Amino acid sequence: MTDHFRAFSFVDRIHGDETGKHITGSYHIPAGITAFPLSLVAESIGQLAAWSSMAVVDFTVRPVAGIAGRVEFPGTVKPGDTLELEAILVKADDEAVGYDGIARVNGEPVVRLHDCLGPMVPLVDFDEPGAMRERYRLLRSTGATPGAFGGVPCFAAEKAGGIPGETAEGSFAIPESAPFFGDHFPRRPVFPGTLLMNLNLGFAIDLAVERAGAGTRWTPQEMTDVKIRSFMAPGEILDLKASITEHDGDRVRVIVETRKGKRLTSSARILLSRIP
Amino acid sequence: MAIYPKVAEIIADALGCDEVEVQPDSSLINDLDAESIDFLDIVFRLEREFKVKIPRGKAIEEARGELSEEEFEQGGIVTDAGVEKLRGYLSEVPADRIKTPLKAAEIPKLFTTETFCKMVIREQQAGA
Repeated sequence: MTDHFRAFSFVDRIHGDETGKHITGSYHIPAGITAFPLSLVAESIGQLAAWSSMAVVDFTVRPVAGIAGRVEFPGTVKPGDTLELEAILVKADDEAVGYDGIARVNGEPVVRLHDCLGPMVPLVDFDEPGAMRERYRLLRSTGATPGAFGGVPCFAAEKAGGIPGETAEGSFAIPESAPFFGDHFPRRPVFPGTLLMNLNLGFAIDLAVERAGAGTRWTPQEMTDVKIRSFMAPGEILDLKASITEHDGDRVRVIVETRKGKRLTSSARILLSRIP
Repeated sequence: MAIYPKVAEIIADALGCDEVEVQPDSSLINDLDAESIDFLDIVFRLEREFKVKIPRGKAIEEARGELSEEEFEQGGIVTDAGVEKLRGYLSEVPADRIKTPLKAAEIPKLFTTETFCKMVIREQQAGA
């Protein structure tokens, strides 16, 4: 069975689309998977906004991960939950989609996105425009059958150095193949920015534990100034560096950057709070 | 609202650098290491802050003026007439930075902090 619309698609149904302005939808997290990271909740909101923005330009271009001004994580999710999704688009044209968004579970916010911006690329280079139009029609009518997503591996960077408790350096080898590449994207596989976001969060949490002591537990409160600067292809090696910029016992601020060789490929500021 | 301080602040925020590094004549690409995603980011922030719309390619289209595309650029290289137009339109860019032959794709390398201020002002005036 093809991975398209299964291995990395997180909108089951579009409930309303004031195209290019406001869109609502939902996604049911399959109960059978082991975990659903909050970064994938952010991905769900982004995909919802993407559908509305692609409809504006009749699926000639599609957005890719670019910038998230601020991502807040006020809640948690678990397999079996249904995400109620909403995005407010402030820009949607052949250049970019700009939006704010929120995901709720049972009415309670779990992830909020602010000032997000996804640059547009020619859709035909990444996906099949006809299949995308058809999928949009399906999502807007009966919706897709939930449960197609089978989970993603728990990726982690390999730590290679740094100043204990202050900085950490490491590397991550993007897999050569994975089911999600068949969906993201069928004609040009790209490692999803939200999986990188999750990798960066894990790397930052490991550094916070190193700083505060083994046994301490940390949770992401927000990420700001998230910027993905280039596509990450299967098999590429990314170098990571995390640096603590503030630490007051209960909160840690970390900057995480990834590079491909010398080139900066992504950066983000992360605020972690200690779990009592 | 004073344009320059806010534009400089937005550029510094978007590029993650200190505001003091952002000077009126700083080339965003050559001096501040901006990339295309940063241009998108900066323009998006400027549009939201100043409630204007800055269409992609607008600056080059305006610089070209009455010249046709062929008169402005041939084979990816800006013509002599095009370079003259650019020197006039991008008057804030030190003349020695506009070297020939100039590739059209490299025009954004000329853009300075002041260029973005002018973009905002032009769009504000156009919308007034």
